[in-house]
Amino acid sequence: MGEGAAEDNDQAGRAQAQQRIAQWVRDYSRLPGIPDEFLGPGGAPRAVWSRFFDAFGALAPDEIERRFGMADRHLREAGVTYRAPGDSADRPWSISHLPLLIDEADWQQLCAGITQRAELLERVLRDIYGEGRLVAEGALPAAAIAGSPEYLRPVCGVPPPGGRYLSLYAADVGRGPDGRWWVLGDRTQAPSGAGYALENRLVLSRAFSDLYKSMNVPRVAPFFEAFRDSLRARADRDEPRIGVLTPGSFSETYFEHATLARYLGFLLVEGDDLAVSDNRVHIRTVAGLKRLDVLLRRVDSNSLDPLELDASSRLGVPGLIDVLRKDGVVIANMPGSGVLEARALLGFLPALSRRLLGEDLKMPHIATWWCGQRAARDEVLARLDEVAIEGAYRRGVPGFDSSGPALASELDASGRRRLIDAINARGMDYVGQEVVRLSTMPVWEHGQLTPRPFVLRVFAAATPDGWAIMPGGFCRIAEQPDARAVSMGDGARAADVWVVSDKQVPTATLLPATDKVRIRRIAGVLPSRAADNLFWLGRYLERAEATLRLVRALGSPSGPNKGTAASVQSAERIQRLLVAWGAVSQTSRTAPGRIVAEALQSPDRFGSALSLVRAAQRTATSLRERLSPDAWQVITEMAERLAYEVEDDDSVLSAAELTLQELASFAGLAQENMNRAAGWRFLDIGRRTERAINTTRFTRQFAYDEAGDEDLDILLTLVDCQITYRSRYLLAPILAPVRDLAVLDGYNPRSVAFQVTTLNEHIAALPSLKEHGLIEKPQRLAVAMQAMLATAEAEKLEVKTLFALEQDLLSLADAIGQHYFPHGPNASRPEKLTGLA
Amino acid sequence: MIYDIRHVTTYEYENPVSFARCTLRLEPRSGGGQELISHDLEIHPRPAERNVRRDFFGTLTESVVIEAAHRNLRIDSHSRVSVSRQPPARDASSPPWESIRDIAFEATSLGPSSPVGYVFASPLVPVLRPVSAYAGMSFPPGAGILAGAVDLMRRIRGEFRYDPKATVISTPLDEVFDKRHGVCQDFAHVMIAGLRGLGLPAAYVSGYLRTIPPPGQPRLQGADATHAWVSLWCGAELGWVDLDPTNDLLIGNDHIMLAMGRDFSDVSPVDGIIVGSPKQKLSVAVDVLQVE
Repeated sequence: MGEGAAEDNDQAGRAQAQQRIAQWVRDYSRLPGIPDEFLGPGGAPRAVWSRFFDAFGALAPDEIERRFGMADRHLREAGVTYRAPGDSADRPWSISHLPLLIDEADWQQLCAGITQRAELLERVLRDIYGEGRLVAEGALPAAAIAGSPEYLRPVCGVPPPGGRYLSLYAADVGRGPDGRWWVLGDRTQAPSGAGYALENRLVLSRAFSDLYKSMNVPRVAPFFEAFRDSLRARADRDEPRIGVLTPGSFSETYFEHATLARYLGFLLVEGDDLAVSDNRVHIRTVAGLKRLDVLLRRVDSNSLDPLELDASSRLGVPGLIDVLRKDGVVIANMPGSGVLEARALLGFLPALSRRLLGEDLKMPHIATWWCGQRAARDEVLARLDEVAIEGAYRRGVPGFDSSGPALASELDASGRRRLIDAINARGMDYVGQEVVRLSTMPVWEHGQLTPRPFVLRVFAAATPDGWAIMPGGFCRIAEQPDARAVSMGDGARAADVWVVSDKQVPTATLLPATDKVRIRRIAGVLPSRAADNLFWLGRYLERAEATLRLVRALGSPSGPNKGTAASVQSAERIQRLLVAWGAVSQTSRTAPGRIVAEALQSPDRFGSALSLVRAAQRTATSLRERLSPDAWQVITEMAERLAYEVEDDDSVLSAAELTLQELASFAGLAQENMNRAAGWRFLDIGRRTERAINTTRFTRQFAYDEAGDEDLDILLTLVDCQITYRSRYLLAPILAPVRDLAVLDGYNPRSVAFQVTTLNEHIAALPSLKEHGLIEKPQRLAVAMQAMLATAEAEKLEVKTLFALEQDLLSLADAIGQHYFPHGPNASRPEKLTGLA
Repeated sequence: MIYDIRHVTTYEYENPVSFARCTLRLEPRSGGGQELISHDLEIHPRPAERNVRRDFFGTLTESVVIEAAHRNLRIDSHSRVSVSRQPPARDASSPPWESIRDIAFEATSLGPSSPVGYVFASPLVPVLRPVSAYAGMSFPPGAGILAGAVDLMRRIRGEFRYDPKATVISTPLDEVFDKRHGVCQDFAHVMIAGLRGLGLPAAYVSGYLRTIPPPGQPRLQGADATHAWVSLWCGAELGWVDLDPTNDLLIGNDHIMLAMGRDFSDVSPVDGIIVGSPKQKLSVAVDVLQVE
């Protein structure tokens, strides 16, 4: 092909692209009377969107679908999830495949507005909890603050350790009918969404890496670096230990907490992981209590300390507020900062800005009338059909069930009467807000563009050099054309946000072209809870493996289901084992055909392979910040496969086979990819302990004193030693050599002796907690077992010795639990004293 | 009148407790017609840490940490208080309740005695429409605030059954209201919820009652434990007026105030967490003797 032909092709391609874009523009039906990001008032695409679609339109339709698929796959594989309130399981994250584009000049204005607002709010907080002049001098009504459940009386007059109230501030903004950005609400408590924004960027910048590069989009990584560094600087020692305080894995945004902890290199901690002593906060680790300097909290203020705040909270740390009073811990944001999220305050901010900053607010917010004041109340009642009624202090309208605003125009006569009465009786609990028509942005639906309202959350971090704004943000898109309904829980989609510059983006950052997560080693200490979870993750997976091996042995065509008397007995033994650990019910034993399927995938049997893998998955959920995406993906795939109902024995066997392969690949990932800090050891301790227990039990069951060929053969299969045995003995299985191989042979990586030796190595490498120099219980048990196994002779091994060994292994598992995770699920937790004294 | 008060709180645990962190609010306050003469607190086992501060509401709050293993925790509080107060007459004239609502609301202070802190829902006292409506019946338009409050107190005393077995600390207010029974704490919470529902500033007061009534008078309900009642802000002139819905009384010299807050959660005399024993038995003994 000559050059001319290539040019012709290019031209043809460009013409096609232009046609496609023209078609998208034609089909884009803007909502009447509502401004749009993509198309200007005249119906022509705005400059930034033209630039984007010129490149985007050049992609062939199937190429577009392929890249969208890539983005979705990435999200699924990384396991990005959230929970809506009331959900019992995580929902997959849903991302709009087109970013929100913001022109740089426009963005700079937005930044100036957010910076000013963040500074103003910081100063208002300082006054409210400090001198109190704004209230005393009438600039701020006392009731607008006193009514907020986030006005935290126990921290009144307590200067914030580290010097600031707000470390991270976010504002929800939308573009109003006048083309300006409007603030819809302030997030001062514990703004969520920054971690999701990070994921969205990761996904989209990968799927459209060329496009992303050509648009000169500034990276978000420097923002997170600045945030991390400023938190570090706020601590009162170098190399501070910082934790992300999460309510736990049932929280709506747990995934995000784990993402932030991993990305920023902080520890992910729950209230139970922390303890107060000597006026400091400490984290319980496998090496004892370690001081924690800074808490980035994702737990609401009122839940932080059951002694001084909500007494029923299980999420906090008793005594935490006392530590705050003693300047012993930095909490970001300072407890009580959430008071500024009250809508009641919005109307006062313009005057406060003039008073505290000496300047007008640069960015307007949605017009709000607080019904605590007579003039505003009268105004709202007079214009009841034009405004939305909201709670003055928190989401939801007091006395009404809806979680969102109430619209008088949508209420029946009695509802309307009720609303008016409520506002008249306790006006201070309500605000009226202008019903805003926010601008729309394009989303991709069925090969064309559709306008949807959206809300953009912009993040600001306090740094020593002033406020740093994340270039981009967290954009949520409404599914209906009503922009007030936007909340993640309502099933809205998220979108990445690209600030588009004419100039080349500085590449001074160390990061590669896409916003790749900068991997860090997890901070130096291992919290006891994480160790506990790792231990159980190892045990669950190993037990799942044992169950699958039993299933395979029972169901395999060469297995004991051959109908001879011996086979029937062997099958009975396997079945008894499956019943004993809860993989099948006692009654199922009468229907042998269903046993293998039940042991494989019954959700009702706690010992089925499915239940065990699910238990592993739940445990892994609490370890998200410590597991690689690959490891997580393997677990997810196993759970999905086992849940998929199979019909015949062949499918059962192949499902078992494939799952066993995946377990092996998980083990490989752990072995090859996990760094050898204490965390890996606890995973391996769990796995080794469980394997030693199972192997001992199998040996007892199948290598009993009078065991015949068939049972010994099954044992060799169960402990995966067929090949080793045959290469060594070239004989049919004989009792003593089989026992030796399964239990005593230190060179066989599946033997009990091998597991115990490895356990000893792990235990010796773990930190010692006691100071009195005596050998600790886990080590005492493990050393004794190792000595016994090293000196025992296969010919003289008795079943009762095997039984004692099994009991010792169980004691070892308990001892490890009590020694290293005394605050695990079975340990004593703080109890409330009975009240009513 | 001078009283000696002995308030002994004992916890017995089934298993040894290795750690306890407690918050104690046991020192009676001065002001509002009473003066604290002396106060003394003994704790067994002896705490490893003791920290004293005044909380937001002005209550002396002691945080203690006990690190010695123990099966019994005993907190023994002795106080001597002189009381001299003259309650307004039940039928004393007072400003219309609507005006109090407006004035209270416009207060320019967030301080502990500012009425504005007591018109909103608080952790244990939600604002509930049925309770507000119930209270509203005592407050016809233009009624004096005191007359309304006395009527509400009288109705609660008459229509609710005093039953120490009916409720525990965690019984929610709507249940107490529906079943119309409870103890002093519940009566106080119901009355506060009703008053706040109307926009009126109502606080919760914990305290004591004299154990042996003056000659010729009946023994009051709640005298052998800590007691609780309601304080209502009735305008600048009358100030805070205390009403005891359990006994249908405006409080005089038989009541001794311990602490004031938005509800029980702000004044809880003994609060804390322990590690080691989920099973615990609490006993409280209160003796209030008149010495002069």
